[in-house]
Amino acid sequence: MKTEDNNHHYDVIVIGGGITGAGTARDCALRGLNVLLVERHDISTGATGRNHGLLHSGARYAVTDHESATECISENMILRKIARHCVEETDGLFITLPEDDLSFQSLFVQKCNEAGIRAEIIDPELAKVMEPAVNPELTGAVRVPDASIDPFRLTMANVLDAQLHGAKTLVYHEVIDLIIEQDRVVGVKLLNHHNGEVLNAYASVTINAAGIWGMLVAQKANIKINMFPAKGSLLIFGHRVNNMVINRCRKPANADILVPDDAVCVIGTTSDRVPIDTCDDMRVTPEEVELLLNEGMKLAPSLGTTRILRAYAGVRPLVASDDDPTGRSISRGIVLLDHEKRDGLKGFITITGGKMMTYRLMAENATNLACQKLGVNKACTTATTPLPGSEPKAKKHSTFSFAHKASQGRHGTLDDSIEHGDATSDALVCECEGVSVGEVRYAVEQLHVHNLVNLRRRTRVGMGTCQGELCACRAAGVMCDNENRAQSAINDLQGFMNERWKGMQPVAWGDNLAEAQLTATIYQGLLGIDTLANERRMEYYEI
Amino acid sequence: MATETQTKNVSINNFEQCLKCSICTVYCPVSAVSPAYPGPKQAGPDAERYRLKNKEFFDEALKMCLNCKRCEVACPSGVNIGDIIQAARIKYNSHRPKLRDMMLANTDFVGTMASPFASIANPVLKLKPVKAVLHGVMAIDKHRTFPDYSSRKFESWFKKEVAATQENYSKHVSYFHGCYVNYNYPQLGKDFVKIMNAVGYGVHLLEKEKCCGVALIANGMPKQARRQGEVNMASMRKAIAQGHQVLTTSSTCTFTMRDEYAHLLDIDNHDVRDNISLATRFLFQLIERGEIKLAFSDDFHKRVAYHSACHIERMGWVPYSTRMLSMIPGVELVMLDSQCCGISGTYGFKRENYERSQAIGKGLFDQIKEVAPDCVATDCETCKWQIEMSTGVTVENPISIIAQALDVEKTRKLNALD
Amino acid sequence: MKFDDIIIGGGLSGLTAAISLAQAGHDVAVISAGQSTLHFSGGSLDLLGCDSNGNAVESPLEAIATVSDSHPYKKVNEIEAKALNAKQLLSEAGITTTGNASANHWRITPIGAIKPTWLSVDGMATVPSSQAMPWKRVALVNIINYLDFPTKFLAAGLRAKGVEVEVKPITVPALEQLRKSPSEMRSTNIAKTIERNGLVEEVATAINNATGNNYDMVLLPAVLGIDSSATSDKLLKLISCPAGYVATLPPSVTGVRMQTLLRKRFTALGGTFFTGDQVVEGIFDGNTLKGVRTAKLDDTTLEASHFILATGSFMSRGLVADYNHVYEPALGVDVEDHSLNRKSWAVVDINSNQPYMEIGVKTDDQLRCMKNGEIITNLYATGAILSGHNSIKSLDAAGVDMLTALQAVNNILK
Repeated sequence: MKTEDNNHHYDVIVIGGGITGAGTARDCALRGLNVLLVERHDISTGATGRNHGLLHSGARYAVTDHESATECISENMILRKIARHCVEETDGLFITLPEDDLSFQSLFVQKCNEAGIRAEIIDPELAKVMEPAVNPELTGAVRVPDASIDPFRLTMANVLDAQLHGAKTLVYHEVIDLIIEQDRVVGVKLLNHHNGEVLNAYASVTINAAGIWGMLVAQKANIKINMFPAKGSLLIFGHRVNNMVINRCRKPANADILVPDDAVCVIGTTSDRVPIDTCDDMRVTPEEVELLLNEGMKLAPSLGTTRILRAYAGVRPLVASDDDPTGRSISRGIVLLDHEKRDGLKGFITITGGKMMTYRLMAENATNLACQKLGVNKACTTATTPLPGSEPKAKKHSTFSFAHKASQGRHGTLDDSIEHGDATSDALVCECEGVSVGEVRYAVEQLHVHNLVNLRRRTRVGMGTCQGELCACRAAGVMCDNENRAQSAINDLQGFMNERWKGMQPVAWGDNLAEAQLTATIYQGLLGIDTLANERRMEYYEI
Repeated sequence: MATETQTKNVSINNFEQCLKCSICTVYCPVSAVSPAYPGPKQAGPDAERYRLKNKEFFDEALKMCLNCKRCEVACPSGVNIGDIIQAARIKYNSHRPKLRDMMLANTDFVGTMASPFASIANPVLKLKPVKAVLHGVMAIDKHRTFPDYSSRKFESWFKKEVAATQENYSKHVSYFHGCYVNYNYPQLGKDFVKIMNAVGYGVHLLEKEKCCGVALIANGMPKQARRQGEVNMASMRKAIAQGHQVLTTSSTCTFTMRDEYAHLLDIDNHDVRDNISLATRFLFQLIERGEIKLAFSDDFHKRVAYHSACHIERMGWVPYSTRMLSMIPGVELVMLDSQCCGISGTYGFKRENYERSQAIGKGLFDQIKEVAPDCVATDCETCKWQIEMSTGVTVENPISIIAQALDVEKTRKLNALD
Repeated sequence: MKFDDIIIGGGLSGLTAAISLAQAGHDVAVISAGQSTLHFSGGSLDLLGCDSNGNAVESPLEAIATVSDSHPYKKVNEIEAKALNAKQLLSEAGITTTGNASANHWRITPIGAIKPTWLSVDGMATVPSSQAMPWKRVALVNIINYLDFPTKFLAAGLRAKGVEVEVKPITVPALEQLRKSPSEMRSTNIAKTIERNGLVEEVATAINNATGNNYDMVLLPAVLGIDSSATSDKLLKLISCPAGYVATLPPSVTGVRMQTLLRKRFTALGGTFFTGDQVVEGIFDGNTLKGVRTAKLDDTTLEASHFILATGSFMSRGLVADYNHVYEPALGVDVEDHSLNRKSWAVVDINSNQPYMEIGVKTDDQLRCMKNGEIITNLYATGAILSGHNSIKSLDAAGVDMLTALQAVNNILK
């Protein structure tokens, strides 16, 4: 770490490199504030990278939570414009099955309309034509403006834009303490996980945007936030069975959303309260797999015969309202805490609750409060300013290679920064997802990539059918620019394969088990990685 | 519920079984000689996931696939890689076929036009200026020699010379002769009739026979292929209803009608498929069941090198033909390495493919020259053109070799026909 | 169709059995559903590389005495003779190897690990000990843009053993042409490009220009010799310094060659090879297997006096795990009991001994399969489909493949 980072003073420090933190850093930077974004692991490691990737229309909340519903549809329309390279406009269906009460449908449509969500009842036969994967026994269908969104891209785009406007980002820097002077938070003490060094950073305002881990951050200032980690498990299937989002038209329940994301589809979620100390390494149980499969098959029966690539789990930061000490009254809405008012601690804000869908609004609220504290009077422009990569573009790409098209899909207009067209850059590293050497180099140079898991989040390396079987080794070779780093690159490779296995192990049957055996044959048998990776630095891996 | 369905865990999307092991790429004859072709794994299962997302991911380079299916034969996981690639071409390709491709693909139409003028067409098609025009205007490679058109179609010969006597036999088969036998090489059809009659089977033509459509599929005309396929299936249903097996002497026609019809053209052939067989297979099975016997003349001696044509390899039927050849006492059989000859029907005729086609076949040609057999045996007619042109060694269908070696009189006696 | 013996599975184990039986004068058929795991070979064959404590084995012959009771080697007699036999069989197929069963030597992996092994295909660079390297100065040659030979890892691995290493990228015009393909600049295409265009001399010149006479050893990616070892041998001779091959990421050119040569040997012995076909049903008569049906031969039953099941493990589809149990898909023979609970197949740490690796078909002490608890008297199982050992951890895959095959042949011929 460069020494100038130590003791530097910022207007704002944002804690947490999830979508809320990244969005807040961007908003602050766009308003001319001098910002530092700190993240203890990688960008989008927590709940941001472990959800459906659903751009909610808000319909899911229309009946139970009008406020969330209106927020969702408003943000939905904004994100389609400012984050077009992260969004795929799929539309969604809310289907009624024979076991559901069809009369819910009219209430649902009415509530959607009240929230400003276009909800159109369509004939079940038409629904089957529009989305052939849907359960053919459906008795009702409503079309809503759901879509899919890539959380990794979205977060990275916010970080990039923050940086373009002067923000500084430190990943793998964990807040180990808040620096408090009298009644004010004046900065944070950071541990650099790469080299073990500790440094201080100072700011007039510190914004805690650390998701569920925000309660631990607040604890460092002896502030209690009543949060409840809720584990949500999901399954990723090997390819898309559906091209529209499929939901159940009933009150929200387990495993009732199936989202097409990139080349896969995702069913989720479960919902279970878990202890906070399990949140850093959550594993999906066989019972959860069973539940997800059984419920998923009701939405799209073909899931029953489709290969499952992985199981994974994220954790929602649920917040109990302050006036309810029992913790029973849980809000799913946005929670903005001004700790000066709430706890008498100045210069400290917590933004939590909410959902990925409303990150921009959360960021706007938090930044408004920060600006107020700083005496800055600048309007928020994040709703109208496109994110980097999302600028409109007319470039024709029918002649591009598979990998070039895939890369353009991932990076939008920023794909122009990637070398294409020469043999060295075009060589494919990851064949399933079409990731070239050029894209890997771009990610390493521009996108805060320190290890293979980072690279995966930026490029999809290793996220395809084979889960890294050949590409991980190739990528490690390409990333290793210096032989002196070969040993740590091999440790990285081993850590990455273990991270991939974490998601495969709960669904290790069928083709997936065969794939796992082939991967083990290659990495352990042929390459002998198990004898080389002498030190397994798993703390890099936040798996 | 999950326990019931994930039990077989076999997706209708067969590419899901792909383990990304890359074995298919080892056996692709195209990717080794042509860097512009993405290879079977990338063109097939890899890109298919993305094509399901957006048809923009379709790549024109898929037309370079020979449809040899060697990737499928090599795949340890049973992925129908070639089918995935061909199906993507059918589904996503928006380009209309060129005149040249339409001409090459319509083998029976062109054959019908050429046969009456065979004495003119054959020499003309060999003339250098004509070849230059074909090469330049039609993009049919000048190195290629069109197979000669026979002046008398097989069908004409059959109807005039032998049709009348076929009812004299007690057992009967139908014969799908294919375009090649009809227009270019009636002798193979005659050989077939000779053998079948000698073992007591009467041969009948189908009520209506159209080209199997393999070339139409390859040249981007699936609709016409489907129409022709339906005609063939209807005729075959009638033959089968009379208790006939439908036999062919071409591995490619057989493969197309048995497998490609259902996999690529959505033709329902389930009731017909099992009754379409290759003549060598049919004969082998009759012999094995003890229903017929063959006798061969003592003075037939040939060193025969067997070439496994791609589509018979895909059908898994090579041993029927080789075991039949091995029954001939005078045959010394050498197995050539199983590899593509590079012609792939009309593919090698196209100017843009000529060099690639010859590069693909080089390994085979070299081996044939090294083995230096009296003749090469193969069950595919287009392999015959390619190998003869590229090596100068005569190529025969196993049926022709059997017919040459057959002692008809003894055979008739053995089968109690005289 | 009738044969003396039918082998289901055309990989190392199946072809070892098939060649051996054909040599004994039998009429043998092999039914092979696609290509084998030889395509992931490192150019070496392991007999036993690690004991149950995870320690490297110096002498496989001695260590085999200590394997657990469930290990397939417990069903193999006269291991030493069979190991010799196996080496001989390979040699007769045109695969000459270095090594013996009394003392392991060491192979170099593509990322620079050193692993104990039994036989290495001639031309592969091997070392006599895991500790001291026999070379001081090594040139590590790679072809430009070939990503499946991670030279930085390999160089670091050798350097850690005290070797001076220099990496030398080379190319020739034909390979520059090939590398225009983003997806197909892979080992076997490099081999085909060099061999089928007669470019061995040109490649040798490029290597010599890069390395001169300055090295104790020139290490090359094993991307030559796809049809036979003629070209790969020739290249080594043309290089001015001593030279040898190191395995690459799959597909393995050396493995493809082994597969091709074994199949050729079998065919030359008069064997019949059913390519790309799959056994879907066994025709049983009491405790005897009469014949098998395949996916492609429709109504033809393939009959034989003896059968060998050598279809491999999960990745070869010799075993199939569904949601709740593991089964053997070709003939439905019995699989070990612990296969019945999915939760017990795989454990969390990727490096641990994964229980699924030890799942396989049940056999009696003569390697005969069982169906519903009854021994099938003429059906043997060999190779990776056998239960009771973890071939990745104990480094014994090829040994089990070949030795159990030879044992089954013995049992058949008895």
